[in-house]
Amino acid sequence: MPTALRKNRTQLIILAILALLLFMAIQGMSTKDWVVTLLRALSVGAITFLVASGFSIILGLMDVLNLAHGTLFMIGAYVGWSAYVRPDTLIDLLPPLALLLAGFLLGPIWSNWLERLAWGSRRRHLWPWAGLILALALLWIAAGKFPVAIWHAQEYTDSPIVWAQNFERGLVAESLTPAPRGGPALLALVGLLLAGVAASLSLAGLRRRAGQMSGQVAAAARRRALIGCALLAGLGLLIFLFDDTLTRFLLGLDTTLLFLIAIIVATLAGASLGALMESTLIRPLYERPIYQIMLTFGLAFIGTELVRAVWGRTGFTMPRPSLFAGTGDGCPAASIGGWFTHKCSTILLTFGEDTARIRTYNEIFVIIVGLIVLVAVWLLLQRTRLGMIIRAGVQDSEMVEALGINVRRVFTLVFALGVGLAALGGVLAGPSMGLSDAMGANLLLGALIALAIGGLTSYPGAAAGSLLVGLLQQFIIKYGQIGINLPFLDAPFKPSPPLVPASTILLMVIILLLMPQGLFGRRE
Amino acid sequence: MPTSSSPRTWLRSQLGLILIVLALAALPFVIGLLNGQSISDVLANAKGNAKFIQGLMIEVFILAIFAISYDLILGITGLLSFGHAMFFAVGSYLTGVALKSFGWSLGQTILAVLAAGVIQALLFGIVLPRVKGITFALVTLGLASVFDILIKTRELGEYTGSDVGLQGIPRPPILDPTDQRLRFYFVALAFTLLVFLLYKRFVDSPTGRVCIAIRENENRARMLGYNTFYFKLAALTLSSLTAAMAGLLNALYKPIVSPEIAGLGFTVDGLLMLLIGGMGTLSGAMVGAGIFRLLDFYFDRWFGEASSFLIGGLYVLLVLFVPYGFVGAWRARALDFRRGRARLLHLFGGRGGD
Amino acid sequence: MLSPLLSVQAIHTFIGQFHILEGVSVEVPAGSIVALLGRNGAGKTTTLKSILGLTPPRQGKVLFDGQEIQGRRSFEIAALGIGFVPEHRAIFRDLSVEENLKIAERNKGDLERKADFIFGLFPDLKRLIKLPGTNLSGGQQQMLAVARALVPDNKLLLIDEPSEGLAPVIIESMMEAIRQLSADSTVLLVEQNFLVASRLAETYVIIEEGRSVKSGSMKDLVDDKETIYRYLGAA
Repeated sequence: MPTALRKNRTQLIILAILALLLFMAIQGMSTKDWVVTLLRALSVGAITFLVASGFSIILGLMDVLNLAHGTLFMIGAYVGWSAYVRPDTLIDLLPPLALLLAGFLLGPIWSNWLERLAWGSRRRHLWPWAGLILALALLWIAAGKFPVAIWHAQEYTDSPIVWAQNFERGLVAESLTPAPRGGPALLALVGLLLAGVAASLSLAGLRRRAGQMSGQVAAAARRRALIGCALLAGLGLLIFLFDDTLTRFLLGLDTTLLFLIAIIVATLAGASLGALMESTLIRPLYERPIYQIMLTFGLAFIGTELVRAVWGRTGFTMPRPSLFAGTGDGCPAASIGGWFTHKCSTILLTFGEDTARIRTYNEIFVIIVGLIVLVAVWLLLQRTRLGMIIRAGVQDSEMVEALGINVRRVFTLVFALGVGLAALGGVLAGPSMGLSDAMGANLLLGALIALAIGGLTSYPGAAAGSLLVGLLQQFIIKYGQIGINLPFLDAPFKPSPPLVPASTILLMVIILLLMPQGLFGRRE
Repeated sequence: MPTSSSPRTWLRSQLGLILIVLALAALPFVIGLLNGQSISDVLANAKGNAKFIQGLMIEVFILAIFAISYDLILGITGLLSFGHAMFFAVGSYLTGVALKSFGWSLGQTILAVLAAGVIQALLFGIVLPRVKGITFALVTLGLASVFDILIKTRELGEYTGSDVGLQGIPRPPILDPTDQRLRFYFVALAFTLLVFLLYKRFVDSPTGRVCIAIRENENRARMLGYNTFYFKLAALTLSSLTAAMAGLLNALYKPIVSPEIAGLGFTVDGLLMLLIGGMGTLSGAMVGAGIFRLLDFYFDRWFGEASSFLIGGLYVLLVLFVPYGFVGAWRARALDFRRGRARLLHLFGGRGGD
Repeated sequence: MLSPLLSVQAIHTFIGQFHILEGVSVEVPAGSIVALLGRNGAGKTTTLKSILGLTPPRQGKVLFDGQEIQGRRSFEIAALGIGFVPEHRAIFRDLSVEENLKIAERNKGDLERKADFIFGLFPDLKRLIKLPGTNLSGGQQQMLAVARALVPDNKLLLIDEPSEGLAPVIIESMMEAIRQLSADSTVLLVEQNFLVASRLAETYVIIEEGRSVKSGSMKDLVDDKETIYRYLGAA
């Protein structure tokens, strides 16, 4: 069968490349060296995969080449860092966000009410825009008035770099100055609620002509909106009231737990950002593909500037959670059990006489998370109804809509999922790679290369490509340290680090020229 | 397009262009007079606002040439290339290296830059028949990134100055940007005009028409019997040559050839210029380059740190709300106006044409 | 007399700047099969897509089951009970036969409930249930496309060119299937093959250059050689 042959061919090529790499690795290196390099490659591959997989699902389903994906990865890292190092800032930010969203959720209530109003046609077109401007003004004023405890990138003593150092020494709780709570802050919260209400009202007005729902569905939507609004507003107020207690509680937590919370916060923040981006900015441009690319370009640019403005231009570190940070007694651990009892940062693996030092966070935890996500997303795609809709929509989203499925909502969901994965990758990369304003662009390049190698819209292709990118990068780095014996040079050639990305890019170009559809891609 | 034989109608149809060129030629003197300098001061390249504005305008001209060359492959031929900065940077770096490290004369350097332009176009040309659309974008981005990385490496630092950029290029005395700025200004202006006229001629030629047809529907162009590859290659070659020449001017003018011009960021700048002016309009690219440079300059002056943020926001707003750029929007308006007038004339029984 | 299940009233549809439909009206009485006839490019497929809102009409009305549905989103229109069988056998190639049917479920268990009926019409599909759609033959893909529209309880089926590119034997069984399924639902059929259309449909509407120009009972049309020649170019 030709299809089976084609599948076999791509797998054979991958196997050949992998075998060659492995062969070369064993030739020039000690066992210890290549095991460590292999693990590092897997770690880099795992993080690349988190970005590449979301990117490829979005590209496949919506044909959106989301060049902001790297920046969203970076924002995920920075948001995760903030939730991890400065939980007080996180707690301070929750009430205003909750109240704004609570007001915004009231949308479905207005549409019915608006139907009954008889406006002059001119006013009908104008007032939603006026409402939107009012909402923005309210948001601007109220958000400015709500006090949030935050760092200042401009002053060194209060900069993220110093906070990261304080965190490692366990000094964050002592150096906090709680933000003032009282009447003005409460008033600002009410302002934010009103801003949300105004925004939802004007959006309902703008959407009025888009068609109405039947009575029952609308009633159910209204009920859900009310319940959601009440819950969120209540939650926001509760957090506002118990702000200090919650902060103390979070700061008292073990850093491993806090890191888990940071992962969840960053992933959710990424997902909501993705949903917001798709529904407001990308959706109007589905008819104009080149403009989408340019828009995401612009968003990448703005996102980078935003990161520079809030967190500063200088890079800083994200301290490792306690489970992966220990260096004291019993470390480096000789076994997995030893790692868990002593919480070691490194673990020793023995090969004959050699022992390899393996970092528990970089070379074990990251890989495990990568594998979990790989399997989870695969299960989502293959075993759930949403996955079925995504796979069908990749081929023909119009037909999916004609079956009675709200494809637009699926688009938003998938965009949220893809960006959420990238943000997860960002937090995960924080402790191993550190944070800098260039991390997004670098990783996007890596992910693009991985996808170009694997096939742009193929999920297994994203996994295989990411793995190959990781392998190539790490083995070239390793060879760079050892030195490559080139025929016409006396001393071994030791390439400088920038040559590593150059060689992976060249590999991408070559593979694309030989197989424009990539290893797993489908011929168009 | 009907070419009229009468010189008067030709003059009328080109009136806008002629006026703009005259205004640009007069600009240094007008600025000088406004700042209390005499014409001979301006001619002697005396320090002052006139000289400064000349410098800014030279940068605008260089960017305009870069933008129009990008417009030819992106807006006219419809090739989604993300590697355009490389075309420009190769010209700049080659000029710098040839003048500084190899000690070549200006003439030799120009010849080398032109040859490099052809070679680059051929390099992209190898890629052309194999990959399309997004894959072509990725391959061009990849090639340009490799070049970007190479010029920043330690290994080539001796020639390219790696991260810092290429400094201390010996300038040929006849075209020194400080002592002979006015001459440089007019050379740049003349070259820009030349490129613009050449491009207009190209787009109106049969070859250019086929390029537009490729953008609209490549399969149809192929079914009409055109080997689209040669037409795309022709557009690429012309574009690459022009961009490399713009790079040469850049290397002569700027004190440092910064590695930034090889990065993706510079390609995006080009995209922004096209977006401001309007893609596929040629004149839009030039207008866009002007607005871009001036915005960049004044935003930096007024808003400092926040300026790049604002430019990003502007960019997004343009994509969403002014997709055809200022020139494109203006043309659409003019078209609507003409159509409206024709309908009106038709209504009153006149022969308004269609 | 009852009002028709579907009533398309003088719709105008644009694709880009091209004015494709310039006034199409179609009435589909409940329980009948209506054939849309006309030459290539006359606007038959666009009419179906306009009903579904895939190419929303700019003017005119579409009434389904007494409600105005023009201007609504496609998925809402489809959820009212309209099944669509697109031309060129557009099944989902990456999904298995079972998934192709499952994705059309509007309520959980639709497929189980309808399985006997569907596999009764198309026994082949039962045998191929685990195969990916890309491995099916042309006829099997067409059967799957029709079967997919039968999974939920649709009141109306829009079927576009069911006989296109199929072998005569398979056309026969496809016609048989359509005849059987029309026992409990209404069908609006687009068909190039006049022989097929004339044997299936009770009434017809002819579309010419984006306008509906003639309609009536199929029995009369079969004898009206002049109309057939003029609008369909076939004898």
